[in-house]
Amino acid sequence: MDTRTDRSKVTVAPNEFKLVKYDPDEIADVVADLADRIGLANPIRIVVDETTPMAGMASTIDGTSSDALITIHVESGALEDTKRFTNFNRHHAEVSLGRMLLRAHDRLRPDFADAPDDDSLSLRQEAAWNTSLNGRLERLGVDINRQRWLYNHRNRFGFTDDVDAGFERLWSSDDLPWSAIDPDA
Amino acid sequence: MRQFFPVEDLARDERFVQTNMAERMQDARQPRFKDAPASGTRSSAKSRAATARLTPDRPDASDAARSLMHGIMTGEIQALEGAGRTAHDFASGDGTNDTIPFELKLDMARQAWDEARHVEISVKLSAWMGTELGQFAENTVLFQAACSNDPILRLAGVNRALEGLAIDVFTQMKEFGDIAGDPYLEFCEDWMLADEVTHVKMGSDWLRKVTEKDPERRAKALEFQQVVDKLFSFGGARGESDESSIGLARRFRELAGFTDDEVDVIAKMDEDALAERKAAVQLAQEAAGAVAAF
Repeated sequence: MDTRTDRSKVTVAPNEFKLVKYDPDEIADVVADLADRIGLANPIRIVVDETTPMAGMASTIDGTSSDALITIHVESGALEDTKRFTNFNRHHAEVSLGRMLLRAHDRLRPDFADAPDDDSLSLRQEAAWNTSLNGRLERLGVDINRQRWLYNHRNRFGFTDDVDAGFERLWSSDDLPWSAIDPDA
Repeated sequence: MRQFFPVEDLARDERFVQTNMAERMQDARQPRFKDAPASGTRSSAKSRAATARLTPDRPDASDAARSLMHGIMTGEIQALEGAGRTAHDFASGDGTNDTIPFELKLDMARQAWDEARHVEISVKLSAWMGTELGQFAENTVLFQAACSNDPILRLAGVNRALEGLAIDVFTQMKEFGDIAGDPYLEFCEDWMLADEVTHVKMGSDWLRKVTEKDPERRAKALEFQQVVDKLFSFGGARGESDESSIGLARRFRELAGFTDDEVDVIAKMDEDALAERKAAVQLAQEAAGAVAAF
């Protein structure tokens, strides 16, 4: 059986960018490739807000079945080449969208039923989850700057050895339930 | 050794990509915060801080701090290059006819030494924060201000405007490190801040001394400083408004020789630059008809 993600299940809006030099087809290719590596067969809709250079992202899922639509809202900065403003960067897009797709994949699991919506996550919850997601993304073959995410984790939880040990646990584990990730639990 | 080095000839390896203010201002996108007017789009609330000020409670705090730290690092490289050029480009003399006092050369040499140390500190801080050298575009506006043929304009543009901005930035980053509990960031920024206050004071003192009997030259230098200050406000990214990520460090500027009136003028310029930037972005977005499909 062909398990590759169907490229036609990925849609990107807008279909033409005016303020940034992004190609919807290239974004769709990145998403399809990542979904394939993650094992996500759901239809996926990517909505890019090109009016801001910020890098916020949020996703929603219409249910928990394998055909539930995953919608990811992403601000243009999350896909941008930080050396060449307004240009697309494939690696940056992989790191950003990979995190959101893995998060959506987590949300399809029953043991993530208690995870708050993206817009309701606390900064600490988001940081802890991101640590877990980035560790797994790295093991899926995406080039991740570990130190960047360690610094992000420390900023939210403190600059101590205990916090670093917590980071290591989240980074190196593959199947943690939400209850083991949630720092506010 | 060659004198008067243009910005295009700065030595950088392949990791660095340079940009300038003109390119930066062509970007018609607009940062948005919680209280910003609705754009007709739905974006993630996770990117929305209550204000633009760079504090650890911003959702994008660590990435914003990393980007700013990289900007500091490239700024330090250019400040080193600028101070070195000023020490070398002009002959010793009484300050007239394209000469500078020998003591001013010594101050520039001392500043170059300080900046070299700042580069080393900033490189290590960047690595600590998870940033690769050259990861972000290098804005060359700092060195451009150090390319004037008049050494007094360089003092006004670099020591007073650029190093003045450095005072604001270091104060912001020191506070960021303090609140986040990052011992290295807070400590290093504090030490570099002390040097920057000295550099600004050098600029203020030498500008007054060398132009003591030449009010026209002094006025021209202060006018150039205002132009550079406006450029360095990055369209209002530095200012006293909550929409500015970097505040104006009034107390440290006072220590560096700025009068209250001078700081008020900078604050007003920042405010105007922010308003101009917002108006330009709105026009550009309307012209492009860019409304995200949410």
